[in-house]
Amino acid sequence: MVYDMTPIQWLKYVIFHPIEGYEDMRWKKQGSMPITIVIVFLLLVAQVVKERMGGFAFNMAAYSDVFNIVPIITQSVIIYLAWVVANWSFCTLLDGEGNMRRIAIYSAYALVPYIVCTVISTIMTYALTLDESIWSSAIYYVGLIWTAIMIVTGMKACHQYSYTKTFVCIALTVVGMVLILCMFVLLLSLFQQVYVFFYTIYTEIMYRVRS
Amino acid sequence: MTLNIKKALCILLAAMLTVTMAVTAFADDPYTSYNYNAWKEAVPSQNGYQVTDTITGADIGLDQLSDPDSEFFISEDEPATLSNAKDFFLSENEEWYIVDTDNNRIIKTDLEFNLLACYKTFTGSSMTTETTLEDGTVEVTETNTLKSPYGIYVDEDDIMYIADRDNQRVIKCNQDCEIITEYTRPDSELYDSVSFYCAKVLVDAAKNVYVICPAVNKGAIMYSASGTFLGYFGANKVEVTATVVINRMWRRIATESQSATLTKATPVEYANFDIDDQGFIYTVTEAANTTTDAVKKLNPAGENIIARTENGAEIVFGDQTSVTYSGTTYSTRLTDISIGDNGIVNILDYTSGRIFQYDREFNLLFIFGCDQEDQNGGFDNPNAIESYGDKIYILDGRNNDITVFSETLFGTYVHEAAEMYNEGLYEESLELWQEILKHDGNYNMAYVAIGKALLNQDEYEEAMKYFKAGYDDEDYDKAFEYYRKDLMRNNFTAAVIVIAVLIVLYIVVSMLQKRGKIPDHLWRRLFRLIGKGIKTLANKIAGLFTKNKKGGAVNGL
Repeated sequence: MVYDMTPIQWLKYVIFHPIEGYEDMRWKKQGSMPITIVIVFLLLVAQVVKERMGGFAFNMAAYSDVFNIVPIITQSVIIYLAWVVANWSFCTLLDGEGNMRRIAIYSAYALVPYIVCTVISTIMTYALTLDESIWSSAIYYVGLIWTAIMIVTGMKACHQYSYTKTFVCIALTVVGMVLILCMFVLLLSLFQQVYVFFYTIYTEIMYRVRS
Repeated sequence: MTLNIKKALCILLAAMLTVTMAVTAFADDPYTSYNYNAWKEAVPSQNGYQVTDTITGADIGLDQLSDPDSEFFISEDEPATLSNAKDFFLSENEEWYIVDTDNNRIIKTDLEFNLLACYKTFTGSSMTTETTLEDGTVEVTETNTLKSPYGIYVDEDDIMYIADRDNQRVIKCNQDCEIITEYTRPDSELYDSVSFYCAKVLVDAAKNVYVICPAVNKGAIMYSASGTFLGYFGANKVEVTATVVINRMWRRIATESQSATLTKATPVEYANFDIDDQGFIYTVTEAANTTTDAVKKLNPAGENIIARTENGAEIVFGDQTSVTYSGTTYSTRLTDISIGDNGIVNILDYTSGRIFQYDREFNLLFIFGCDQEDQNGGFDNPNAIESYGDKIYILDGRNNDITVFSETLFGTYVHEAAEMYNEGLYEESLELWQEILKHDGNYNMAYVAIGKALLNQDEYEEAMKYFKAGYDDEDYDKAFEYYRKDLMRNNFTAAVIVIAVLIVLYIVVSMLQKRGKIPDHLWRRLFRLIGKGIKTLANKIAGLFTKNKKGGAVNGL
């Protein structure tokens, strides 16, 4: 194996050699942050494509006038960030060797199959009828499973865990994500109330001033 | 200067407002009509019906009842208005029977609401009433009057079936007011209610009598023609809510005495029914928030046919969402149903005073009427609905009048087109639907119907366009399948040639590569070249930005 590869070649290598690739990448201290950011952005794009495109018979909702990007951002970017933060929080406690940067990079690289397969399956629906929908969903699930495998091997290589510990860690991370998102919602509603409080004071004062 | 502009603007606005107000004042329709689109959102629509007449007691000529010179004279103090009328019925012989509930009488008129008869006393009852006379003695007499009659049905032989609510009986009598049979509280173990406050009555072709008692939730009480209790017909199902599920779980672990204290899940009784010429009984359930069984079409075995048809379970009858306004939630309460020509279903919403009209496949055709009781076509207590030809009649129990709706031109088009559509005559109805779309571009069913017509004519691409506009994904899929087949058949040769050329090209290139005629890194070089191009382009763009920043300074110089 020759290791003088460009970052893009590293990405390709990791995707097609999930177990070996991550270990090599860790050994050679590879992985690029700009590519990670691009991948996360592409994840958002893929989710938008999934929501707003597709054959008419497959995704009629895409042809309605209403489009709200906030849920899609939550489904992609926010969940990714929550994953990274939660994973880092648990794995530092559980003797994981990965730092935050590495977790972010390894997780993002794992998302590539999902992104590619989602886009491909969505484009396929333009040429398929409902009877043949199994093909597009098969492609979609291949991407999903591939990504799941890469997440497991990626986290294993990142933290230098055994498989059992990796699975425990992933389960804990999911719990952590739920906790983080709950706190986030709580915080938001709190700020909302604070805002409403100050706004009421403002209107009250304005009434007094005017009258 | 600015002040003048402001003034001018104000005047302009005022002028515009008066113009628009004048326009609305001249509009014919008392309210804006709406319909639901494929997303179950309310969209403006054309009126399918318009109010043409309002019939009050005076119009019927009820003052004749207290006029001694008239042939209809009953007594001096007979009221000349309707009072809280609960039901009316149009018989096969085209005569109206109006149940004047608080006046305890039945009024019979012809189709144009001219008084024909008024029925107050009935002979031949087996029931007795005890009346305390002034001197304290109790007199027992035959029950010969009605006491808050709530419903009526008249069969083709002009035999009347009257739900005499507070006397707890249904009487079957002829036009001479002689009672033929009395249907009273069933003396059966199956009937566990103490009372028999019957509200609505219906008779099928075999002269079986169906009675709705609001206190009985097992379905309609069914009698044979001779008056024997046959059982119940077509009960509603219990709506599965969280409470029902939790109670069921508790009941598993609770002791007998504990489970006796738990609330029993009981179905909601239905409010009213109607029968069509084929013998199917349609029921409506009034209880607010019902999602299941709001409207049912029952076959003679008492099974709901709507739930068995395709998409039948998904239909939401009445308004799609309930409205909350200053603390009160207004949701649909279906109070009466009437089956018109060609199986058209009219249902009446008590809350909003609206009539929802469906065709026989339960596609929503029109929504009309409102709850502004002070205006024509607005109702306060809409109690009953009947349909005859192109007219819909609504009986209001608070306004004490009957409102007559007549079909508009648009309504005629839609009814004709919908009937052809339901018969499968898509191509024949094409022109009508196109006319409908000219009147109302929001009319969703028209797009689907035109799409089906075009699909029958093998114009797949056009059909796809219309199915898309009508948000009909399944038919779109069908059209698309044919369209794709056509496309492949027509372009088969071209596709094969392109693929063959590509294969040949690939073989030639790989052979040349093997012989070393093409340098190995050609592709890589090509990519690098493209990459360089992008880089220089990016640099140039970045340069433009930096230049612009400095550009301001240059301009300043």
